[in-house]
Amino acid sequence: MKLTVNGQDHEVDVEDDMPLLWVLRDELKISGVKYGCGIAQCGACTVHIDGQAVRSCQITASDVGSAPITTIEGLGTPEAQHAVQEAWIQHQVAQCGYCQSGQIMQAASFLEINDDPTDDDIDRVMSGNLCRCGTYPRIREAIKTAARTLREV
Amino acid sequence: MRELVFLMAMAVANTGLAAGETVAIKPPLPETVSREDGLGAWARIYEVTSHPRCANCHVGASDRPMWSGPSYGKTRPHGMNISAGESRIGVEFIPCATCHVTASGPVDNATPHAAPKVTADWQLAPVEADWFGKSSREICIQLRDPGRNGGRDMIDLASHLDHDVILHWAWSPGGGREPAPYSLQEHVNDILIWGVAGFPCGED
Amino acid sequence: MSRIGTIARRSFMIGSAAILGGVAFGYYMYRKPVANPLLDDLAEGQAVLTEYVRIDAQGITLITPRTDLGQGAYSVQAALIAEELDVRLDQIKVDPGPPSPAYYNTALADEAAPFMPTDEGFVAESARGVMDALMKFLGLQITGGSTTVPDSFEKLRIAGAVARETLKLAASERTGVPVAKLTTSDAAVVLPDGKTLAYTDLAEDAAGLDPVADVQLRAPSEWRLIGKPMLRLDVVAKSTGTQTYGIDLDLPDMVHATVKMNPHQLGSLDGFDASQAETMRGVKRIIPISGGVAVVADNTWRAFQAAEAISFDWAKTDYPDEMDGHWQALSDAFSPDAKDAMPRDDGDVDAALAGADVLSAEYRAPYVAHAPLEPLTAVVKVSATRVDVWTATQIPRFVQSNVARLTGQDDQDVHVHVLMAGGSFGHRLEDEVVKQATEIAIEMPGIPVKLTYSREEDMIHDFPRQIAMSRMRGAVRDGRVESYDIGIAMPSVVASQMGRQGISPPGPDAMIAAGAWEQPYRIPNYRMTAYRARVLAPISSWRSVGASSNGFFHDGFLDELIHAAGADPLEERLRLIWHDPSRKVLKAVAEMSNWGAPLPKGKGRGVAFCLSFGVPCAEVVEVTDTGAGISIDKVFVAAEVGRVIDPVNFDNLVKGGVVWGLGHAMNCEITYVGGQAEQTNYHAHEGMRMYQCPEITVRGLENADKIRGIGEPPVPPAAPALANAIFAATGQRLREMPFNKFVDFL
Repeated sequence: MKLTVNGQDHEVDVEDDMPLLWVLRDELKISGVKYGCGIAQCGACTVHIDGQAVRSCQITASDVGSAPITTIEGLGTPEAQHAVQEAWIQHQVAQCGYCQSGQIMQAASFLEINDDPTDDDIDRVMSGNLCRCGTYPRIREAIKTAARTLREV
Repeated sequence: MRELVFLMAMAVANTGLAAGETVAIKPPLPETVSREDGLGAWARIYEVTSHPRCANCHVGASDRPMWSGPSYGKTRPHGMNISAGESRIGVEFIPCATCHVTASGPVDNATPHAAPKVTADWQLAPVEADWFGKSSREICIQLRDPGRNGGRDMIDLASHLDHDVILHWAWSPGGGREPAPYSLQEHVNDILIWGVAGFPCGED
Repeated sequence: MSRIGTIARRSFMIGSAAILGGVAFGYYMYRKPVANPLLDDLAEGQAVLTEYVRIDAQGITLITPRTDLGQGAYSVQAALIAEELDVRLDQIKVDPGPPSPAYYNTALADEAAPFMPTDEGFVAESARGVMDALMKFLGLQITGGSTTVPDSFEKLRIAGAVARETLKLAASERTGVPVAKLTTSDAAVVLPDGKTLAYTDLAEDAAGLDPVADVQLRAPSEWRLIGKPMLRLDVVAKSTGTQTYGIDLDLPDMVHATVKMNPHQLGSLDGFDASQAETMRGVKRIIPISGGVAVVADNTWRAFQAAEAISFDWAKTDYPDEMDGHWQALSDAFSPDAKDAMPRDDGDVDAALAGADVLSAEYRAPYVAHAPLEPLTAVVKVSATRVDVWTATQIPRFVQSNVARLTGQDDQDVHVHVLMAGGSFGHRLEDEVVKQATEIAIEMPGIPVKLTYSREEDMIHDFPRQIAMSRMRGAVRDGRVESYDIGIAMPSVVASQMGRQGISPPGPDAMIAAGAWEQPYRIPNYRMTAYRARVLAPISSWRSVGASSNGFFHDGFLDELIHAAGADPLEERLRLIWHDPSRKVLKAVAEMSNWGAPLPKGKGRGVAFCLSFGVPCAEVVEVTDTGAGISIDKVFVAAEVGRVIDPVNFDNLVKGGVVWGLGHAMNCEITYVGGQAEQTNYHAHEGMRMYQCPEITVRGLENADKIRGIGEPPVPPAAPALANAIFAATGQRLREMPFNKFVDFL
């Protein structure tokens, strides 16, 4: 089947029910998307499909169809960072960093819909993304900074 | 907010159109159904509507789905601080479909504790269909009231059950979750018995 | 440079690790007790100035042997070297280096020696010296015990200074300018006329010199990096998905494996049927290994799927099947026969309690999983003459010797490449995953085998935090705490953990008492007794180890006594504490939280204090009983670490420690049913999520002489501060974790 990831078309030969997560990681070697739980409890595997945050451990390759997929690598790069990534760096959010690809993808998708979120909004949106290191206070601050940047654009 | 309205429109367009004819809709002849039969059917319907597989998403004015029932431990709001918003599909915050993704074909939801999915957009039931923690009489009166049941008569209710695949999930939830009692066909039959009996509710 | 040249140069290298003595004026001398491991793999044109600094024409690499588990260890280690070496952090790369005795951990011994961390007298210091020698002998290149900073603080600055002075000497020899007229800046030696010679350019000259062994460390007033906010080296990679963790490693021809191990922890495999799994797409091999079965496939998910399709006949193990049996074993341990130590016995507790109105209680702490978000992984490739291991481990030396034993190769032929860890919290102090990957790789020589645990396998086979029980008695008089008798029973975590490495540590297990015996309270009659329970399920070090349960026990019941005395919880703790740095952290949180200011009805404040890993740490938690559940609103934390190296990372780690302590106290436990862990994934072992996370205010104090690590100390006071706050708000005492068994959280 064909998948479009970060603007590039890929032909993959996988089972219909292989989760997108493992197609990305093991077949396409796109490893910014992380495996944490496999059951939508942690959010580490979050990608964008048609611009909307989706847990890639839950959606199968065949469910995606022709919709464009964006991973953290397609959101921005070390040289050309997305506003959310810039804010994450400015606030030095990461400790182990393993959840942060998912956190950033979730936040970026949310800020597309609401670029002036309250603390309560942030708590409602980000609580599906688990951080075992406990970087939540910095995630909150980084989202507010990113929102400010996005409003000014 | 323009995006929001657009997404909501998409959600409505996607809902309930995917299913085929899954059950037989054959109302019994009026003369074969007594009021007692109708009340008996209602008692079984209530077992279904109050079952966690149904009630957890029939939360009325609240936009917080619930976690309750045998495989969920202590009754509590859906983990992760989930809010479905006014859209009932979560677009204001985190769409239900972020985890309960919309499947492209039949799924067995076999993985325990994973987010169940169906071939429709996951969502909360309408505000009027307020079942969680409600009494048999409260649900009964709501469900027979066209003003609060989507303007449905008996056949429409049965047909709704036939077509809306998110409802079918209640009888095949997978992953070790307890299914709603009876079967979809038995539930539809009960709706029809109850309807033919004149939608009796206890203490009428 | 030829191999002969490399070998000839070896005698000039400073292979130091030990400091002979901190002599006056900041001069330090080295000795050369162990070989410099970097010399073994030296390439043409590379210079190794100390075992921590490697320079070649391409650049400067700082060796940071403590594993980065997310705590920022690489950045902190690099900053300490860079402070003296005069390089900017954007001019260097870091490399965790090979396993080597040169990188032993001096500071771990501080916690192992039975002296109070507040006691820095002659006897205590010399006892630590003995332990230090023992640790060096064992070559424990361990990351743990919040020791990276205390272990590295002098060692790495000295390494940086030695390298800098040697580079200056090389510049002097090349230019004829006396060393005294040379300075250094931004990875270059600066000549009096302002011209610069890059370190990379001087490297080969420096390599031919006898390194300068006699260096002076800079005064704190001259520091450019230490104490100022730094940008962590990994923050860009970790914000752009470009950080490679253990699970991300991809090698040519690599195969993907997973395992299903006996859910009865460490039990054996009696039989299995993989006939269905063998036919599944992508499956290459089904390999029985010790205690389980491995599936090797061409994709991790396919391996997971096939593993699910195998049926097993598992042998049972000898710990109790049900939790009742575990708790009974702890209860039984409160007996003279099981006494492990009585490290504290002030006054006369028995006499004091004999005539008093005695308050008593029993507290409990459950097994808890580490569950770092990156599940355990290891890549192993076995060849005829060498073995390569890539894994995120805290114990590279043990990994090396275990793999050598399994493969029959020599230690020196086992090359351990330590990778960035997606969290650990103590999980990666175990190396079962590496041993399993090695067993698989032995069956597939020449092929790199990546073993990835599923989340379920990771959680079921977590060797969790110790289960523990405490029984206390106490009495108050005239509004004061007069007597406190605390007994704690748990299995020995050190014996369980070290036992798996073939070491049986002698003597009492300090972890049974940690966080309770050494608290700096001057209670007139004060006794702490440690009881060693029988071996139960295998257990392991979990962020703050013994103190993670004992801090809750000790401070929770102290709070009960203070309430019984009718005293103010903070004032009475202050009155009872004799240790000045500890008093200062309590005073700090009092001020930060506006302690004593009235709160509206339904709100409550709780304070807790615990000295662990040498760090006094106090926390005030503010909660609201909303009616729909307890909401944790605010936390104020103060910790005394001697010196804060990077205030940004410090703040992040303290907040993380608070979230860790609170989250697990709220809702986490591992329970065994039928001998198997019931909790298989985060739905049942959730920890704290964003919406439950309070506003956390952090203050680091720098009054003590010794520098200390901050990874663990914020954890022990979190649970008791929360319990004490819930009591203040609701009148309900919580004596058992997790608290959600007794109260609802919002």
